[in-house]
Amino acid sequence: MSSQSTNPTGQDALLRAGIDRSLRHPVMFFLTSAAAWLAVSLILGIISSAKVHSPGFMDGCSWFTYGRTQAAHVNALVYGWGFQAAFGVIIWLLSRLSRQECRAAGLILTAGHVWNFAISVGVLGILAGYGTGMPWMEFPAFTWPILLLTYFAIVVWSFVQFKVRPVGHVYISQWYLMAAMTWFPWIFITANVLLHVMPGNPVMAAGINAWYKSSLIFLFFTPIALGTAFYLTPKVSGRPIHSYSLAKLGFWSLAIIMPWAGMQKLAGAPIPYFIPYVGAASTILFFIPAFTAAINILRTALSDPDLVNHSPTLRFTMAGIVGLIVMAVAAVFLNLPGSTLTWTQFSLSGYGFEILALYAFFSFVMFGAIYFIVPRVTRREWLSRRLIKMHFFFSVYGISMIAVAAIFGGIQQGIGQEAFDQPWQESAAQRAVNYGWLITISWAFILFSNIFFFLHLTVMWLRLGRRSTHPTLLVADHGHSPHGEEGDIDNCGPGTASAAH
Amino acid sequence: MSSPSQNPKPDLDETINVTQAHGRVERETAAAAREKRIADNGHEQVSLWVIAACGIVLLIAGGVLGNAGTLFSYNSTFKEGYVRDKPPGVADEGPKPKTALAAYSTKGAKIYSKCSGCHGADGKGDGVNFPSLAGSKWVVGDTQKLAMIVLNGVQGPISTGKTYGAGIMPAQGAGMSPEDLATLMTYLRNSFGNEVGDVVSAEMAQAAMDVSAAREKVGQAVTSEEIVANHMTMLPGETIAPDTLVNPITLAPAE
Repeated sequence: MSSQSTNPTGQDALLRAGIDRSLRHPVMFFLTSAAAWLAVSLILGIISSAKVHSPGFMDGCSWFTYGRTQAAHVNALVYGWGFQAAFGVIIWLLSRLSRQECRAAGLILTAGHVWNFAISVGVLGILAGYGTGMPWMEFPAFTWPILLLTYFAIVVWSFVQFKVRPVGHVYISQWYLMAAMTWFPWIFITANVLLHVMPGNPVMAAGINAWYKSSLIFLFFTPIALGTAFYLTPKVSGRPIHSYSLAKLGFWSLAIIMPWAGMQKLAGAPIPYFIPYVGAASTILFFIPAFTAAINILRTALSDPDLVNHSPTLRFTMAGIVGLIVMAVAAVFLNLPGSTLTWTQFSLSGYGFEILALYAFFSFVMFGAIYFIVPRVTRREWLSRRLIKMHFFFSVYGISMIAVAAIFGGIQQGIGQEAFDQPWQESAAQRAVNYGWLITISWAFILFSNIFFFLHLTVMWLRLGRRSTHPTLLVADHGHSPHGEEGDIDNCGPGTASAAH
Repeated sequence: MSSPSQNPKPDLDETINVTQAHGRVERETAAAAREKRIADNGHEQVSLWVIAACGIVLLIAGGVLGNAGTLFSYNSTFKEGYVRDKPPGVADEGPKPKTALAAYSTKGAKIYSKCSGCHGADGKGDGVNFPSLAGSKWVVGDTQKLAMIVLNGVQGPISTGKTYGAGIMPAQGAGMSPEDLATLMTYLRNSFGNEVGDVVSAEMAQAAMDVSAAREKVGQAVTSEEIVANHMTMLPGETIAPDTLVNPITLAPAE
């Protein structure tokens, strides 16, 4: 690691350390509260999944009925965990890529608190029975302007930083992140205005809702995670992105194809006949932006498999990219109108696909980013390599089980629902029971690992991490670190006379 | 990395220890300094198999779009005269059979909705203009006189000898089928507290229509004199046992 060509100059490192320091509190606030919301969401997910196989579970309390916990679970996952992890990553990455210190940390932090408050009110509102009943938009209607304003207060500084960046090359990550930040208000305002402010035909409202959900996945979470992975992979591995032209193909196909997706959820509804087909076709075509980006990133990282194995960041990111490939294949498989689409419209499969997108892909990349960013903004290294490993394995096994159970269980359930000559209880409900058990157990695994992840993160924010100049790698032996002799980052680091060499 | 301690030049400002000052900087930047540079983008060719995989997916998506038909083809969603297929392997058993009394009364109740404007939904009339059907001797007694009144209407005093305000009941026979008449009569004789318990068959109703057509004053409402003189009798024809199971739609006996 001492080759001169890859070493930054001291001036450069100072600038980057300055950027990291300026962002410590907003970034740590978003990441920590994201992890806390993830745990809340998982608890609600376990309760709602338990209702699938054991309907009598907690049935005395209306706050924990299936309709409410399922909605609260998904909304806490999307707006509590997903968005806040994205905020933390966006503001840090774009500051770094634009080489600008953050000058609005206080404002972002305040907006972050308001966002959290709105989410809390929204989740409690759903549990109390004031949900709107629109998938992914179940928060009571008054929260959406608050969320929108807060969103602008959080990300507008990154636009400013992009505007005043040193002129030159715009890196792939910046394409994706800037695009996602621009697309989200468009999606959010369109859906909320058309559903809450100027409600029209209810059939079309269901279509707009389905489009919102799919656009949030494909036009917000996907580009955020891809942009992050395109940054982390070359950063940790020190290798250039495999192919620039492939990256361009991936970005523009995402931008052009994905706004059309979503309406296939209304196949068979009285809307113009071509709309569900266009939706199904473009969701199938998600394979192209996803697969090209995944291959590009995997090719970059896997030229050094040992590095992927040792670096927590790369390991999580690559798991996320594998999740992306699975999700892209599922997008093809679940949207064939002649057969699978009818089975997946109203069954567990839709949920399985959303979990693939939100967790197996997006969340894993976010975990990777968190393992990269947090030591930089806190100047402490991760406390325990075992906790990281545990987080990784419990998450990977848990999410694989959920994806398999939800998608294939959902198809079984869909086939059962289509068998209209059989009683629903026996054909559809009974088929889903065992898959329901599998999902509950898997969420419990994931919850277990994430509670420790949250504690680990909180300890880091309290600056109780390792005071080392060495990163925490997933190897037993730190003796042969490529970073030279280990030093204490605060007292007798490598810069002191005794440690310098 | 050029370590500050290797800097051979002495610092001119004696109050600052250069080594320590640079050491602080290095500690500050420890994490950032070990980061690798993001190198320029690679320019590898796109592999053939990636293009092939994307091409296959393009074909699948094209096939999906090709199935979309014309843009606003509602006929594909809502087929004209659509009847749901019979479930495979399940014989069409039709609707559940009901007893004849229940089935005839249910149908008759629908036809009675024409009559309820005057006689009321409860069949009690209003006591001033329209007579009550509940407990009326002309309703519950012999069937022929009831049939004549329904088919031709009635004028003048009724069974109790009282003349009601409306004076004349218009004929209801136009367009009535024997089934309609049979079910209506069955309903009247078994509702509003009337409990005759018999079922008027379509055969009997047909006979009533024949009798009605053979009257001396065809087309005029019957009077109480005519009823007493000609129609105080049961209609000819087979009755149906009230607990026979019939198809509630066709009224045919269930197999």
